Amino acid sequence: MTENDTDLIRRAQADDIDAFCLLAQRYARRIHLLAFHYCRNAQDAEDLSQEVWMKAYQALRSFRSDSSFYTWLRRITINAFLNHRRSTLFRKNGQTTAVQLVQIDDEPLESRAVSPENVYTKVLFENVVDALAELTPSQRLAFLLRHYEGMTYDEIAAAMNCSSGTVKKGVSRAITKLRAKLSPDTLAPDLDTPEPLTSLASEY
Amino acid sequence: MHSCKETKERITELLLDEADSTPDTTLSAELLKCGDCRNEFATLKATLRMTKRSREQSAPTEAYWNTYHAKLRYNLVHANSTDESHRPSLVARFFNFSIPVPAPVALALMLVVALLVPTVMRADRQPTAPPPQIVQVPVEKPVIQEKVVTRVVYRERRLHARVSKRVVDEASKVEDTFAKSQKPQTEIPASFAGFKPTEEVKLTVIKGGSPK
Repeated sequence: MTENDTDLIRRAQADDIDAFCLLAQRYARRIHLLAFHYCRNAQDAEDLSQEVWMKAYQALRSFRSDSSFYTWLRRITINAFLNHRRSTLFRKNGQTTAVQLVQIDDEPLESRAVSPENVYTKVLFENVVDALAELTPSQRLAFLLRHYEGMTYDEIAAAMNCSSGTVKKGVSRAITKLRAKLSPDTLAPDLDTPEPLTSLASEY
Repeated sequence: MHSCKETKERITELLLDEADSTPDTTLSAELLKCGDCRNEFATLKATLRMTKRSREQSAPTEAYWNTYHAKLRYNLVHANSTDESHRPSLVARFFNFSIPVPAPVALALMLVVALLVPTVMRADRQPTAPPPQIVQVPVEKPVIQEKVVTRVVYRERRLHARVSKRVVDEASKVEDTFAKSQKPQTEIPASFAGFKPTEEVKLTVIKGGSPK
């Protein structure tokens, strides 16, 4: 946590909304991204991330700087995800994802440069989001926290209130499902260009 | 000996654990040996790479964030004003006031209260005795009243026999006298002079009294 964060947190704890908004501007993208991949729906992701910030503001006085602000915030986010899963408001259809993505971009597709790369990444994105829809919420959350957030299995287990073995199994199944769901065509570019095994291993 | 199952598990771990960038030579050797494992490695790597790329792709534009933060600010301000308007009164806050107490302390306090309450209740049950007030009341001492009853009983038989004898004597005398005189004008009538009741009880009651 930088010094700036500390100052902002102190001001925000004294009901300074501007300071809190500055904190939100720093971390909102990461939280929103996580929420979007978890919900697979732009509107749900926005509502959920806004809810996370509101909860964080209400609970900010309890923040004791034992961990970084983002770690604390991520814990609130995970709890919000778990509660959101239990709520009846959760939208189960992942079909509107592509449409919603255009809406949140707030930019017409025509204005974007239509290049093969853009088309590829867009198709890729849709495929990945569709594949994420195949996972159970627990598997999806475990996968996102492990793969996107880089959390350890023990950290995820503590956050999700389950054993690290369960998390490990969930992540493994999630990856297998994702691989099965993603079409061979989209996987092809990587397979067509074989890399030396040692370089593959050292890359990760 | 090569085990595909073990190798595939290690591949997943290796691919996910980006922090561990040290090349796993033993794993590389295993991958060189087995085509299936090599394929597993390549496909898993491609899968994870695609998900990472899609993550970057899903970031909204700057215009979206302006609206997002404006909305967040509005929600925060609104929530703050709502909190102010719904702030409870001083009295309500006084009654709702609470202090977080550690569980052992709370337990100890509860035990003390549990022990004190019966003691206090027992003390309440015993009436508080008012200071003793001395009142002098004259009390009459009861005096045993003696009653002596004397009963005098005249024995009837001797008297009766004597009387009857005397009566018989008197009667014989009267008869003799009557026979001697043979005159009705000079006859002495029988009387009950000297007659006494055959039974007489004389009671003497001596009453006692309270001494003055």
